[in-house]
Amino acid sequence: MELSQSILDGLTLAGETSHIPDKCFSVLVTRAFDGILDERHKQLIAKDPSFRSLDQAVVKEAYYSMVALVSEASKHDLDINSISSVLEECKYTNERIDVFNKVFTSKKPLMQILLSSVGTSPPHIVDVNWRLDYYIKNNHMERVNEAVYLIELKTEVPGTSETKDVQFSCTQEQLQDLVGKLKDACKCLEKISQM
Amino acid sequence: MEEVDNIILHSLRSIGCEIDEDVVSLKEFNTEAIVACSVRCIKTIHGDVDLPNTLPSAMSAKFRMGTSLANHLQELGYRGDVGYQTFLYSSEADIRKIFMFLVDKLPKEVVETTEEILGSSVLLQRNIANTLSRQLSSPWVPSSLKHKGIAWRGKPPTWQREGTCCSFHFHSCNVSAPEGSGDLSKKIPKALKSYYQTNLPFITCQTQDYNDIVPSVLEKNAADVTAQMEWENEWNQSGLASRLSQQEYRDRKRQRILKRITDQLRQDRQRSEATSGSGSSQDLQQMLASMGGRGTGSAKTKGSRFTHSEKLLFAKDDDKAISEVTTVLPAGQTEEEKQKEREEEVNGLKDELTSLTSRLDDLDLEVKKFTASIQQMEEQISNQNRSNSEKEDGYKVKKRTLDLLPDAENNIAKLQSVVDSSAQRLINLASQWEKHRAPLINQFRDLKELSSKTESEAQLKLEEIKEFRKKMKQVQDDARGKEELAKQLHSEYERMTKDVNRSAYTKRIMEIVTNIKKQKMEIDKVLVDTRAVQKEINQLSGKLDRQFTVTDELIFRDAKKDESVKKAYRYLASLHESCELLINTVEETGVILREIRELEDQIESEGHKKVLANLEKISKDYQQIKKENDTLIKKIKGKS
Repeated sequence: MELSQSILDGLTLAGETSHIPDKCFSVLVTRAFDGILDERHKQLIAKDPSFRSLDQAVVKEAYYSMVALVSEASKHDLDINSISSVLEECKYTNERIDVFNKVFTSKKPLMQILLSSVGTSPPHIVDVNWRLDYYIKNNHMERVNEAVYLIELKTEVPGTSETKDVQFSCTQEQLQDLVGKLKDACKCLEKISQM
Repeated sequence: MEEVDNIILHSLRSIGCEIDEDVVSLKEFNTEAIVACSVRCIKTIHGDVDLPNTLPSAMSAKFRMGTSLANHLQELGYRGDVGYQTFLYSSEADIRKIFMFLVDKLPKEVVETTEEILGSSVLLQRNIANTLSRQLSSPWVPSSLKHKGIAWRGKPPTWQREGTCCSFHFHSCNVSAPEGSGDLSKKIPKALKSYYQTNLPFITCQTQDYNDIVPSVLEKNAADVTAQMEWENEWNQSGLASRLSQQEYRDRKRQRILKRITDQLRQDRQRSEATSGSGSSQDLQQMLASMGGRGTGSAKTKGSRFTHSEKLLFAKDDDKAISEVTTVLPAGQTEEEKQKEREEEVNGLKDELTSLTSRLDDLDLEVKKFTASIQQMEEQISNQNRSNSEKEDGYKVKKRTLDLLPDAENNIAKLQSVVDSSAQRLINLASQWEKHRAPLINQFRDLKELSSKTESEAQLKLEEIKEFRKKMKQVQDDARGKEELAKQLHSEYERMTKDVNRSAYTKRIMEIVTNIKKQKMEIDKVLVDTRAVQKEINQLSGKLDRQFTVTDELIFRDAKKDESVKKAYRYLASLHESCELLINTVEETGVILREIRELEDQIESEGHKKVLANLEKISKDYQQIKKENDTLIKKIKGKS
């Protein structure tokens, strides 16, 4: 994990007792997580009474660097040891490191969930409806006698809350082909998981 | 033998042979198990071997299978005696030998992977494999039961994304935060500081869309880190050598780039003007001028005249164009006419433009000429003025001399005294000047030396700084690499199954080695003993021989005289002979005893080979083959 100099400066700032007193520090860390994780809490830091008496520029800088550290650390899936070494470089006391680590370990999964939702992905199939039609004849042929499957996949598309339908029809062979492909994919996954 | 069996059983189990848990030694293996295990081993060693996994029931097929197994073993390089009987009518020792050989030949992938140091990619792949296997084993959950497509499972709960309904694209916008508010050495402008304090929103409120916060923060960090790295590289490569401060270097670079951009833009503009002749680049011109102004004072003065004339030209053009547009607006004409008219107009305008530009050029030339002539004139004027003042001075001197002429003698004397005194004064001044000059010159020299020294020192320091920087980087890289390695090794160590077997084996091996050492020492002792005994025997026999010859001679000499001595001589000879015989017999007994022991050993080993049981088996198999043959013959007969 690499942090820019401005963030490191900000972290050092947040670690200094003269700028952020001890009792405000834990509030700052929790507010940083709250601000990222929940839209309703993004303003909390501004309203928090414990920061009233402090220099707002300092609070803003410390808050920014805390947010950046938390995001980067979750992105790189850092363990407590590595984070501690980063914080030690910024001259944190052990108590502050402990405070940070406690909050960080409890919120890391939530942060990673948030990070995992950033990005593009193909639609996700959640359900399927199907129907089997038997196609007996048409205008040109007396006897066709084929089975036709109508398949409707319900998919989740990024960015919308409703499912989107994907419809197609296929013959039995095509369906078998599809099923074969799916089985291949499953096998592939199993093979990878057994490495 | 127990350890060997354990190892063999362990490795057989590890390659997937089905052996009951309560089997602890090779003694308990029956023929089926032996065949199945050896087939398995051979298949693991050679991927493509066409052998059935289990022993067939028909006797002839069994026989064939045994032969092919033996062939495969010999192909693998087994040195010992091997045939179908080794498998079908097994003896424990043979089987152990064969399995030891096969286990030794087994591919040692497992061992190698644990020994080599795993790269981070392998670790990542393992991680992926673990996660995938966990996810594959988890049950399906309907999407309506998942909050935002996240399923929590297990204890401690681990999450897993199963659904894309709440994901969004990576979109970042520019965010900013106060910088350097804790650094007292840097002064922040008051306005900026008050902006930071009162107006700048917190980072989480700076984006329009709430989802953009994390991407924006991540991107800002990445951009900052990259910029920092680039800057450091450049500073190390060329910045340090230029011996400027960082700020100066930055300023100079900015000027250079601005200048290059303006030059480039100006050239392009001129080129486009030359080809199309259109003058729509007023804005560009303004921008260029402003850029020049911002960049350097010199750039502005350089371009000012040019830009001025350009402005004039385009102002005129614009005016004209506007007037044309306002005047020419006739209606009710066909398209072609309009087209023609327009073309004419354009042509006329072009002509006008060319004439105007040529006129302008002419005028420019004239202006240049005039300015040149003005300069010339000014020079002339100053020349004239100078000659005028010179002449006036000459006139004044002449006038004074003329005034002095009447009282020549007196005046000459006066002048002489004045000249003398001034000469005296000059000498005085010169000596004084000398006095002052010498220390000043010395000081100057000292200072010069000092400055050159400091300069060279600065150079040295610069070099040192460079070296230190290089070292710093190296050390950093080293530390990073080592940290990574330590992390890998640590995870590797945690991954490793703490195998009790292994330590037990090593302990056992060490014990065996010490045992062997002890035994070797004892053997050596025994050898020394035997050698000593041999020596003694040799000595004794030599002594005996010598004694015998001496006695023989003595008695022989006396025997001719005395009858009783003759008898004694005869007794001696017979005694000697019988003693020799005795010794021979003792030796022979020893040999026979040894042979007996060997034979006993052989009997024991033969006894281990379950000869009787095997014989019974062989006879049974023989009967079965006979039966099979009979049925076959019957079948043939029935067919024919």
